[in-house]
Amino acid sequence: MKYYISVNGKEHLVDVVERLGELKVVVDGSPLELDYEEVDNLGQVAVLCDGKSFGLSIEGDEHKLSATIAGHLYAVEIEDERERAAHAAERAQAKGGGLVKAVMPGIVVKLLVKEGDTVTKDQPLLILEAMKMQNEITAPSDGVVKVLHVREREAVSGGAKLVLLTSPT
Amino acid sequence: MFRRILVANRGEIALRVIRTCREMGIEPVAVFSDVDRKALHTRMAYNAVSLGGALPRESYLDMDKVIAAAKSTGCEAIHPGYGFLSENAEFAERVTKEGLVWIGPPPAAIRGMGDKITSRRNMKRANVPVVPGLTDPVADADAALAAAEKIGYPIMLKAAAGGGGKGMRIVRSKNDMASAFRTASGEALSSFRDGSMYMERYLDEPRHIEIQVLFDKHGNGVHFGERECSIQRRHQKLIEEAPSVVITPELRKKMGEIALAAGRAVGYENAGTVEFLYSKGDVFFLEMNTRLQVEHPVTEMVYGVDLVREQLRIAYGEKLGYEQSSIQPRGWAFEVRINAEDPFNNFVPSIGTISNLRAPGGAWVRLDAALYRGMEVSLNYDPMLAKLIVWGPDRMSAIARMRRALQELNVGGVRTGAPAALRVLEDERFQRGEFDTHFLSTLDLSKPSEGEDLIVAAAAAIHRHLLARRKALGTHAASRNAWQARSRARHTQYPPHRPEVAHAKEPQP
Repeated sequence: MKYYISVNGKEHLVDVVERLGELKVVVDGSPLELDYEEVDNLGQVAVLCDGKSFGLSIEGDEHKLSATIAGHLYAVEIEDERERAAHAAERAQAKGGGLVKAVMPGIVVKLLVKEGDTVTKDQPLLILEAMKMQNEITAPSDGVVKVLHVREREAVSGGAKLVLLTSPT
Repeated sequence: MFRRILVANRGEIALRVIRTCREMGIEPVAVFSDVDRKALHTRMAYNAVSLGGALPRESYLDMDKVIAAAKSTGCEAIHPGYGFLSENAEFAERVTKEGLVWIGPPPAAIRGMGDKITSRRNMKRANVPVVPGLTDPVADADAALAAAEKIGYPIMLKAAAGGGGKGMRIVRSKNDMASAFRTASGEALSSFRDGSMYMERYLDEPRHIEIQVLFDKHGNGVHFGERECSIQRRHQKLIEEAPSVVITPELRKKMGEIALAAGRAVGYENAGTVEFLYSKGDVFFLEMNTRLQVEHPVTEMVYGVDLVREQLRIAYGEKLGYEQSSIQPRGWAFEVRINAEDPFNNFVPSIGTISNLRAPGGAWVRLDAALYRGMEVSLNYDPMLAKLIVWGPDRMSAIARMRRALQELNVGGVRTGAPAALRVLEDERFQRGEFDTHFLSTLDLSKPSEGEDLIVAAAAAIHRHLLARRKALGTHAASRNAWQARSRARHTQYPPHRPEVAHAKEPQP
């Protein structure tokens, strides 16, 4: 399983593979020999790695946590592949201005607006299924739907134009 | 000596007093609010009396209830700790009238130092140097403008009845005075019901230095040198040390004498602290705190004295029994306050349930705390969770020891200011002793630590992976989130929750 992990804002790709009951990790392409032992079910972890011992204290949920090593705090955000795709879509929308694009290949499951509709920021425009996840694609800003570039059940590639919004008059 | 006393406080200071009582064979009686039924001070006392209520004014600030608790349990004296009723002259008076002993200064001394303006007037009379400024408070912006011309800019506006940084403003020029006065005065009015402001010259490169004094009831007074408390954020102390790098033996002697004169001017008894502002070799009287201070342990470490023991002895009427000449500092001590706050997010308060606790150990390490696993940290009381104190033969070894101890400390469930303290202790300017009260604001705390990113990334991935696997297997116990969610539901409720309500909110796995 691949995880995109941001540590204090810096991103790392970590691949966790279970083999013969053991967990193997590859961090940014390099295998890391890491012995991970949970001390309790409250986030205390004993880690041995590369000739060093680390006592970690982990707090938070599966998406956002903080890890403390020797009094120093690391802010961590975690996405798996599917979450990353969904979040990337959201991020792209926020930046995309008037033109809403597909950031990943997928299938348009349902259109929620039609041309000429007035939409408000964060209003769902359509549902895009990607990696077996249905994602609501929402309006990045208030506006009017000028062009719908896709139809229902249409397969789109990454980067394809979905909806063009114009600013409300 | 007293046989039994009441400790009219909570948290670490209640425990601090209880500990000395135990060592002296005195039976300490605790008081507790509804929220503190399970608190450590309740459990570690000889006896504990419920004050009911949850808010401070319904419990620890309720004079009738506290005095009734002392009388009903046969206590001979009341130790107020710090905060709550400790600097309340009316309470001190009532305690005495009820035939109990007040472990603190006489009410007149509390009043004499009570507000900044009265104390300043008293100090001027006793020839104690004060910061250039007004003896009388000003009530409106026009008067402030006129006064500012005499004092000279920059000027510090302070609430006459203030404390804790509320109602304070620095005014750099004439143009800013009117608006600064209005906002500061407004703050003071809402916090202290008194909008009048005290004005004084604002000093550059200021350092906060204070002198610990003890007076017995027989006219003897001594000082225990200085503490430096310049590492502050929003006028709240974070790191304290004793001695101070800027205080020479000569200056220590001079400040000690000023502090003793200040105390004598108001007929002081028991333990007190005279606060000074140090600026480029000059010292000015700020105020006197008529109680035990939070940071008293650094003095205890350097002078080998138990200040609470001295307080009890003095209150019982014993003589100090030692001279100033026998009081000599040895080595260096630091204290770090561990507050429930997020140093990476502007020190906003952090609330939660203490999920994990690892106390540092080793030689010359002291942890004054009333923490326990499962404790709920709410916004109802002071955010200070613990005080970590270390001693070393010199300043650098004490810094190294404090860094080591902070690395060992682990408080789970809430964010604490400990990483910020660590950042200060790692800073070369701090290590060289080059800092003033603005030091903390010059550090960029917005960026969390770096160094072990890859280990953290790998561990976080495994953590997430195991969580997901357990969720898939549906093992209830595996989900820490349920536990956390329940605690969250609990501590955000106020007044204290009923357990069945909290359980009803527990998410189903």
